[in-house]
Amino acid sequence: MRYFVIVGSLFALMLWSCNNGNRCYDSVDTLMVTSFSIDGFKTINSLVINGVNRSDLGDTLVNDSSSALTKSYNLPLSLTADSTGFVIKTNGTTDTLYIRHTMSLVFVSRYCGFAPDYVLLGSRHTPGIDSVKIFHPKVNPSSIQLAPNGQNITIYFSSARH
Amino acid sequence: MVKILLSILALLVISSQTVFSQTKSDVWRYEGPRVGLDLSRFLLNSMQSGKTTGWEIQGDIPYKGSLFPTFETGMQSMNDKHDNFHYKNSGNYARVGIDMNLGKFESLKDHDFVFVGARLGYSLFNQQTDSVYNTNYWGSTITSFPRRSMSANWAELVFGMKGEIFPNFFFGWSLRAKVLLAVTKDAHIKPYVIPGIGNTSGGTPFDFTVGVYYRFPIFKSKKMPKPIKMGGAKHPGINNGTDTNDQNGSGRSHSGRSGQY
Repeated sequence: MRYFVIVGSLFALMLWSCNNGNRCYDSVDTLMVTSFSIDGFKTINSLVINGVNRSDLGDTLVNDSSSALTKSYNLPLSLTADSTGFVIKTNGTTDTLYIRHTMSLVFVSRYCGFAPDYVLLGSRHTPGIDSVKIFHPKVNPSSIQLAPNGQNITIYFSSARH
Repeated sequence: MVKILLSILALLVISSQTVFSQTKSDVWRYEGPRVGLDLSRFLLNSMQSGKTTGWEIQGDIPYKGSLFPTFETGMQSMNDKHDNFHYKNSGNYARVGIDMNLGKFESLKDHDFVFVGARLGYSLFNQQTDSVYNTNYWGSTITSFPRRSMSANWAELVFGMKGEIFPNFFFGWSLRAKVLLAVTKDAHIKPYVIPGIGNTSGGTPFDFTVGVYYRFPIFKSKKMPKPIKMGGAKHPGINNGTDTNDQNGSGRSHSGRSGQY
């Protein structure tokens, strides 16, 4: 009996000391999934997106010369401000879009840490953008799973100005 | 504190004298409260990531021979520093429950047993998160979440063994599966390590304890403890055990009436 107590202790200790490692297996990137639309029979032949006041080399978020209507793009939101601004160049026309949002940090896991979690509240934009529709206001690390069939927002361009 | 230690020491001396003064022909079964230290808590620091420190005291007392109401209490603190956050957690906990001997004691001197048991636990702790670092295209932030008091309660299923290595000194281990019943909600961080439970970030938290125990041989008896009767159909013609108390502490006797301590 005492033999079993001691051997059992060692065996259980061995099992107990096993762990599943200390790596991060979850995403902590929080990106807003964005799609574009333009009315009429027009297409978006080129799309370049930068952050407002971010025009340096390497600051470009999107630079796509193929048709952007069938794609969605993942855009980062500000960690510190309650709104995020984007400069959007489509077919040679430049527009500016501001997204209002809240931001809080949520715990993902021990080895991944925290990720920002946003709620989209609204938008304002220049006249080249006809409207912005918010489909999924919650933007969190799992939002990128919305693509390709879903999106957080869709930006509708004005056909008269493009 | 000194008075308590002196009292325990005196009790140890008296009980030892009682045990060693008996003659060979005068075999008694000694029982009493058993108190021990969980050594695995001291191993946590070296075996798990994150700086974890703590201690745990465990105690049980025999009831009707094969049942052992238990009480366990301890503290645990954790200092878990990562590249993008620093989590601190500290608190006290207690568990109450009962263990049940699965087998039979074979003689008056046999105190080794295999058991299953259940526990209910309560933990009172606080947590604090500093240096939460995040970065993306727009820049970086460093924030902190202040210290907050929290509580949790849980249930445990226990399987283990305890064996008497020297007279009144026991060594034992247990495996535990835990179910978190409730924990204070925090908007920022769900505690992933709770004092008394351990790591809660996976599925069912499992734990292992290994301890050394001392039994205070306060009660003595010449009757074998009554084993727990399991359910099941009785078959005619099969002797389900007779009261043949082993008065001499030898041989493989079966159940009798529980000792009157």
